[in-house]
Amino acid sequence: MYEFTLWDIARNLLLAMRWTVGLSLIAFIGGGLLGALLVVLRLTGTRFLRRLIMLYVQVFQGTPLLLQLFLVYFGLSMFGLETTALVAASICLTLYASAYLSEIWRGCVESIDNGQWEAASSLALSFSEQMRYVILPQALRAGIAPTVGFMVQVVKATALTSVIGFVEMTRAGQIITNATFQPFFIYGSVALMYFALCFPLSLYSRRLEHSLRR
Amino acid sequence: MKARLCKPMRKTLVAAGLFAGLSALFCSTLTQAGEALDHIIKSKELRVAVPVDYPPYGYVGPDMVPQGLDIDVANLMAKQLGVKLQLVPVTAPNRVAYLQSGKADFTISSLGKTPEREKVIDYSIAYSPFFDAVFGKTALPVKTMADMAGKTVSVTRGSMQDRELTDMAPEAITKRFEDNNSSISAFLSGQTQMVAIGTTVAAALKQKNPNMDIALKVVLSNAPNYIGMNKNEPELRNKVNEIIRQAKADGTLDAISQKWLGAPAGELPE
Repeated sequence: MYEFTLWDIARNLLLAMRWTVGLSLIAFIGGGLLGALLVVLRLTGTRFLRRLIMLYVQVFQGTPLLLQLFLVYFGLSMFGLETTALVAASICLTLYASAYLSEIWRGCVESIDNGQWEAASSLALSFSEQMRYVILPQALRAGIAPTVGFMVQVVKATALTSVIGFVEMTRAGQIITNATFQPFFIYGSVALMYFALCFPLSLYSRRLEHSLRR
Repeated sequence: MKARLCKPMRKTLVAAGLFAGLSALFCSTLTQAGEALDHIIKSKELRVAVPVDYPPYGYVGPDMVPQGLDIDVANLMAKQLGVKLQLVPVTAPNRVAYLQSGKADFTISSLGKTPEREKVIDYSIAYSPFFDAVFGKTALPVKTMADMAGKTVSVTRGSMQDRELTDMAPEAITKRFEDNNSSISAFLSGQTQMVAIGTTVAAALKQKNPNMDIALKVVLSNAPNYIGMNKNEPELRNKVNEIIRQAKADGTLDAISQKWLGAPAGELPE
């Protein structure tokens, strides 16, 4: 059996961190774009469309991400549709994040008092202008804390992609532990590395909230 | 909100559409059955699902490259088939899924034979021995299966040990974990009094930590490892069995076993 030096452990965990960061970014960007589109459609669409989006949100909030990943990666290929692990993870994380983000943002927009909409439309602003100048600036402030809270959740949720073969931080920690038999040291390091990723996010969100409040 | 009249109709239409789409897709995969060996030879590549968290069968070195008994057997297979080997690192819970969904041609990941698994996959003949046992602290007064009643044992979910424990020591309190290491960690941290693992794993553990208080309590079984592959591939299975028999005869299998387990493969069931 080879000996793992401290540097070997740190290096391999840091290399695996690239996947954690990369998959998180895919979820943030893909989920953010799709989530924003869903919010707009939900606010402006026909009743049928609104119901459809509601169903979509319920499906992705109500099923575990682990199973979504498993079904998309293994399930689709049993029906002859080949997906690579990256494609499957991107699809699942995007859908998953968009469902939550659209729900968070819808809540923020709806939390704005109806009087604001009425006042804006009495100034003859169009829907997009009402959104742009009146509603969104207020909704944004309300939305930062829950959005960042969810982003932090997503960073940790990327660990689930190990079920379809990604060696991200948690999985790398598992693999190394099984070769070195030092679970407490290695899992402790992995936990600290997650913290190092998530804490700055939370810190930044607090700053942002303060600067928007002024 | 008011319900709309046409809603049920829409639902039916969507369901019908989904069903038609799925069944069309399903039919397209059925045609591929029975051609696995041809496919491997043609693509010049053998994709083998191997463990990376299960020393000495499959684990990583400092460069994160898999090594171990299972990996050596995978190399042997690829060499004898005359194709390139591509290792697909898997975990115990998803190693059969990789096979069924066609993302791996074989699984060589210390797979034991169970009736449940035999319903969904086919097995080769055995390629290596595997002893399972229950381990605990030296002071723990357990000598037989019956002594385990009311005591906690950690075990890896869905593993051979899990099945054996459930069958042979139903009175023991089994705590199931997702991978081998979690089961061991549970024992080491005192969450459980005993742990059911392969004897080779325990040996590796002891070798790494000579001071560890871990002693053999009860031997569960010798559950040899088999190569798993998809059902309805008789040509592939015959070819694999032929390679294993040859490796048995010329001593290759014994040499691999000696290298990783410290003992020859010995008598293996067909």
